[in-house]
Amino acid sequence: MAQPQPIAATPSPAADAALIAAWRGGDEQAAAELVRRHARALARFLAGAGAPEADLDDLVQEALIRAFRAVDRFRGQCQFRTWLLTIGGNVLKDHGRRAGRHKVVALDDRLPARDGNPHERAEAGEAEERLSVGVGALPRLQREVFLLRAQQGLEYAEIAVALDTTEGAARVHYHHAVKRLKELLQ
Amino acid sequence: MNDDAKLEATAQRLGAQAAERLNVERTVAAVLERLRAEPLSASRWSWRQPSWLRIAAALVILVGGGFIGRRLLVHPGTGAHKVAHFVSDDLRDLSADQLRDVLTTLDETLDLGKGSTTIPDADLEDLDAQQLRVVLRSLEG
Repeated sequence: MAQPQPIAATPSPAADAALIAAWRGGDEQAAAELVRRHARALARFLAGAGAPEADLDDLVQEALIRAFRAVDRFRGQCQFRTWLLTIGGNVLKDHGRRAGRHKVVALDDRLPARDGNPHERAEAGEAEERLSVGVGALPRLQREVFLLRAQQGLEYAEIAVALDTTEGAARVHYHHAVKRLKELLQ
Repeated sequence: MNDDAKLEATAQRLGAQAAERLNVERTVAAVLERLRAEPLSASRWSWRQPSWLRIAAALVILVGGGFIGRRLLVHPGTGAHKVAHFVSDDLRDLSADQLRDVLTTLDETLDLGKGSTTIPDADLEDLDAQQLRVVLRSLEG
């Protein structure tokens, strides 16, 4: 499988580190800048993982708050964004539990792609819908590895550190996720 | 377009439109407001929820009971009872979800400062209440 490419460039880790240090020192604007840099990527990850769009704002805010509160535990073991996305995964899991352990699958994010002719757009929209449902049905680790790799374009080594697993295990999770999703899309 | 490329292309679009609709400046304002308003302890723990109070009580029982139980086992002559009592037996009325929360919280408590978790959440997801109690009991030594 070809190397997935991230849609949005990941901000410089060095600049993130400086902002984190400034936030630890009490600089509120540093926190604001970190939110500007990473909020959309976090929202995309959460929506891809099945967050209902109606709750997306709240889930993004909750993940950011948890990250800022726990920032002393972040030691640059992976990129700040990757760490933030894994916190987002925990927030979404807690949200799912509060919602009565129902699978949370985005129902509103089903608009077709904007390019191509109407038939292609409809086809792309249908594929997105099926993939969204499929991703929502994956076991949590497979889902997160798949999104971090395919949606966010991260390397396996980075994913492994963020999810506290091995690179080999991350590859296996990705392989299983892709196999199941391809079956679903065919 | 082959299947792999199609899957990648679709995955990269997943959630993109919902993310575009996020009002980032509103998010910035809301996050800063909460950071100003919520003291650290209040934001880390939602004590207002009764379930958290119950879980906290269970944790105190588990950690304290485990400590005492271990002392009794290591120094059997110093205690009146020589039969090991597992505190996890006292948690029979907790649901699988609550037991999962106890384990996760306990893991976080034990892991403070280490930066990584020792009980993978994904593994806990797959366990039923009985298996979760076995894990709890194993933590008591």
